Amino acid sequence: MNDHTDENSTDPTTQRKHAAMIDRLSNLHQARLSTKTNSKDPTFESTQSFLTLFTNSKQSIESSLTQIQQTPNPDPNSDLEKISNSISDLEKLVAENSYFLPPYEVRSSLKTISDLKQTLDSVTSKVKPRKKFSFKNKPAKKPESESKPESESKPEPESQSNYKITDSPGFRGKENAILTKEFTGLEIREFVLSDLTNCEVKLKGCFRTLFINRVQNCKIYVGPVSGSILIEEVEGCLFVLASHQIRIHDAKGCDFYLQCRSRPIIERSFGVRFGPYRLYYDGIETDLKESNLYDDTGNWANVDDFQWLRAVQSPNWSILPENERIDTIKI
Amino acid sequence: MGLLSIIRKIKRKEKEMRILMVGLDNSGKTTIVLKINGEDTSVISPTLGFNIKTMTYDKYTLNIWDVGGQKTIRSYWRNYFEQTDGLVWVVDSSDLRRLDDCKFELDNLLKEERLSGASLLVFANKQDIQGALSPNEIAKVLNLDAMDKTRHWRIVGCSAYTGEGLLEGFDWLVQDIASRIYVLD
Repeated sequence: MNDHTDENSTDPTTQRKHAAMIDRLSNLHQARLSTKTNSKDPTFESTQSFLTLFTNSKQSIESSLTQIQQTPNPDPNSDLEKISNSISDLEKLVAENSYFLPPYEVRSSLKTISDLKQTLDSVTSKVKPRKKFSFKNKPAKKPESESKPESESKPEPESQSNYKITDSPGFRGKENAILTKEFTGLEIREFVLSDLTNCEVKLKGCFRTLFINRVQNCKIYVGPVSGSILIEEVEGCLFVLASHQIRIHDAKGCDFYLQCRSRPIIERSFGVRFGPYRLYYDGIETDLKESNLYDDTGNWANVDDFQWLRAVQSPNWSILPENERIDTIKI
Repeated sequence: MGLLSIIRKIKRKEKEMRILMVGLDNSGKTTIVLKINGEDTSVISPTLGFNIKTMTYDKYTLNIWDVGGQKTIRSYWRNYFEQTDGLVWVVDSSDLRRLDDCKFELDNLLKEERLSGASLLVFANKQDIQGALSPNEIAKVLNLDAMDKTRHWRIVGCSAYTGEGLLEGFDWLVQDIASRIYVLD
């Protein structure tokens, strides 16, 4: 027993151990095999194979979208989530391959993706009442009649949500409007821009922190923000912003003219372009100096893409060519 | 004599503590660390990856791991869990919209077995901003009272901008860890 493995066959305990070990080894082997196939580099550098893959996923998403509409009384949540996941996979696929694709293909696939997203949104609003927390004045049209009594009579079981009712100051749920606000004195304030479409927003003076979310086709001009700016879910917008820190999440096709003390970052964004801050109003120089934002750091061009941790330039953002930049805007 | 007790002995000799700072992006983790270390906080880029700061606090050496909070890199937090003595969860008290997100990520973190022994300090940061929720309100939103009774935790309001509250928070954290680990003192 003190000697060699061959004698093990007689000892039931060691035999059992041996069997277990074989089992473990084969499991390990299986696991290795499967990770090997998974970890295959998603970039395959061939337009043809990309297009095939893209079209296939697109078709499968489309068919599940029509299916979910036709099925009379489905449990939509998981299905919708699945579709939304496959759309974001598709988005990732494009981003990962965009460095070798011809510009036309990139543009057309991005267009396809945004169409898919729109369809998904409309399907979502059809098949399920809006559940997630959202600010009340979001322009809701169709589902209002059916979802309103429910959402008012019993708010979501997340009992803590009553604290959100004390909303921060801001502009919310506006369309086709010109929105102006001037900050004076030493307001150490946060400000919110959310659910805006086709608006022009002008914020003069210094303030402390700015949250922007769900904004489409807007022009947003902002004086110095001494703290940070957080931007989420924006599309087709023009931003002129100055701040210590700028974070951009889920932006599509936007131009940013920035003055930033640190490196701006993007995450889950594509088609975003950057240029230097171009804003003027009476007294902006004093405001910029007070907020420590007067000196041009050149950081508007040092964008970090959290989804592109490689040495080569991220395909998700670019520097605005000089002949396409706006002139200084006076507000 | 297990490995753990050997490690503890080494730690006890050097009076070292390992502290992990996490929280959503834009909550002010890096600013807190730099501020408490007396460094310039005016140029801080969003953290890509992590920073480590070693500083002496009372008679202890703190190793503070400040890990980036952007959504894409949150999945890497778990790489830093091992041997964490203290967990600092930083909340942007003025970001009302993402409090749900904040609660979700914290709940996930507290399920983690490797962090089960760590003392938890919640910093309700950005108290200098007018619309910020108070530490009490943050505690209710995050439902901290419902936490596992064995967890040592505390919530402290602070402003990394002015420095207010930071020492109070770290004092508690260091004392709490010391009373657990350095029992012989």
